Amino acid sequence: MTSRPAIRFQDARVVYPNGAVGLAGIDLSIEPGEFVVVVGSSGAGKSTLLRAVNGLTPLTSGSVEVQGQVVPRKEGSELRRLRAQVGMIFQDFRITRRLSVMTNVLVGRVAHVPGWRAMFNLWPEADREVAFRALERVGMTEKAWVRAGDLSGGQQQRVGIARALAQEPAIILADEPVASLDPVTTHQIMRDLVRINQELGITTLVNLHFLDLARRYGRRIVGLRAGELVYDGSADSVTQADFRHIYGRDPDAGDLLDEDAAP
Amino acid sequence: MNDSAMRPLRPARNWALILGTLLGVTMMTVWSARGIGFSLTELACNLPGGSRLLVESWPPEFSYFPRLLAPLLETLQIAVVGTVIGGILAVPVAVLAARNLTPGVLVWFLDRNVMNVLRTLPDLFWAMLFAAAVGFGPVAGALALTVFTIAVISKLWSESLEAIDMGVPEAVRAAGGSWLAMLQFGAIPQALPHYVSYALYAFELNVRASMILGLVGAGGIGMVLETQRSTFEYPRVTLIVLSVLVIVLVIEQISEAIRRRLA
Ligand SMILES: Nc1ncnc2c1ncn2[C@@H]1O[C@H](COP(=O)(O)OP(=O)(O)OP(=O)(O)O)[C@@H](O)[C@H]1O
Ligand SMILES: [Mg+2]
Repeated sequence: MTSRPAIRFQDARVVYPNGAVGLAGIDLSIEPGEFVVVVGSSGAGKSTLLRAVNGLTPLTSGSVEVQGQVVPRKEGSELRRLRAQVGMIFQDFRITRRLSVMTNVLVGRVAHVPGWRAMFNLWPEADREVAFRALERVGMTEKAWVRAGDLSGGQQQRVGIARALAQEPAIILADEPVASLDPVTTHQIMRDLVRINQELGITTLVNLHFLDLARRYGRRIVGLRAGELVYDGSADSVTQADFRHIYGRDPDAGDLLDEDAAP
Repeated sequence: MNDSAMRPLRPARNWALILGTLLGVTMMTVWSARGIGFSLTELACNLPGGSRLLVESWPPEFSYFPRLLAPLLETLQIAVVGTVIGGILAVPVAVLAARNLTPGVLVWFLDRNVMNVLRTLPDLFWAMLFAAAVGFGPVAGALALTVFTIAVISKLWSESLEAIDMGVPEAVRAAGGSWLAMLQFGAIPQALPHYVSYALYAFELNVRASMILGLVGAGGIGMVLETQRSTFEYPRVTLIVLSVLVIVLVIEQISEAIRRRLA
């Protein structure tokens, strides 16, 4: 028996209203528990690929399936239920600075809790417990009642990760999660993502800008160029020539986080 | 080396436009002043009449103050009721009128029009309308100020809401959150300080307005003002005006302090 893919793109196309092509017919299958890094130059369609998985950007044609279920193209309760299983982490953290860390993490529970309870901050004990465990996993328990805006960038991204974990998701999407962080914090956050993937078996899809990061943390690397899938292979076997193919040019020091290391 | 030669020259001023605007404004003012029979010489000749009124109004009749306490309190109560109820009702009105948050174009369009009608009709009109409906007195005043408050807050706050960063609201939707959850955790917290600021501003306006509303029998200190003025009790009128002035100044100080704490 073959296992059902966690995510499956079939001839997935996205054309934006202004005519820009986001995805130009992608076929891609990601198995449960995989850790996949997506690379490609700016405008290649990396964000579009991720946002198609949770329907933030609807496909123009073709299909995306999450756990065997087709992602609806319209907002509604069906799409909300699907999104509940998919956590997302953003480059700019996207947490509410004015609210406490705890409230931000509890936002990961909104799809699991009746609206009126969330409205009046009457979260069930079990959901608070889930939120606390999510904070523990990223080592932020003692910051639970701090105002989120008072944290450092790396800590804010951990809150973002904890919010995604609080969803108890099957899939985590991370769109350039370390692009606004310093190198040291970058490695910490990448290690957190890998550890979470291994410990909890959550299928993880990460967009990365830097090639050395992709090679170091990815198990499988997917390369996009102008909305097309131009590379799909293991991180161990990816070559300089592959990167040249993906980027359409020779990778240089600007494509590396650690500029001293040779490409 | 000096590379000031590279710097662009400051563009020449458009004197024709500046002079033309000045001339236009002057001509419009002269034309309007003539139209309403406004003349400085006439004003100067009539000043003695005005000063006679001032002399007659001074000093204020302080012994009258105890009888002002109840109506002053009523004025504050009218303003509080109008601000609180209006402030609550203004929340949905503002949210539906914000282009980035409204659930549909039709709702947005209808709400915008309701807002415009509320704003265009003066508070005196509403006072007379409600006086006809519920009878003369403070209730009519409070209802009129409720409408006035909705108009003030919704107009200002919907613009603040349109200026928020939509990143966090999108993150809430990505976690499977409903429209209400998106508002509660993503959108409104960002614009909350603005809301408080506008609500305090509306309260200041309402205290002032309740003086005018009394003129059409909508309760409060305005009604006393109107009786005393029509019986030529100018020293009492002075006392009333002074008391309202003091109250407004005190309220302004308090709201300023609250605004500073929120910033
Ligand atoms: N909302 C949008 N409206 C119109 N065009 C868009 C929109 N979002 C993306 N695009 C276009 O779609 C293409 C793919 O964009 P996408 O954001 O997916 O690229 P990316 O690989 O994530 O790039 P980056 O590394 O800069 O984030 C680009 O040509 C981009 O200009
Ligand atoms: Mg992107």
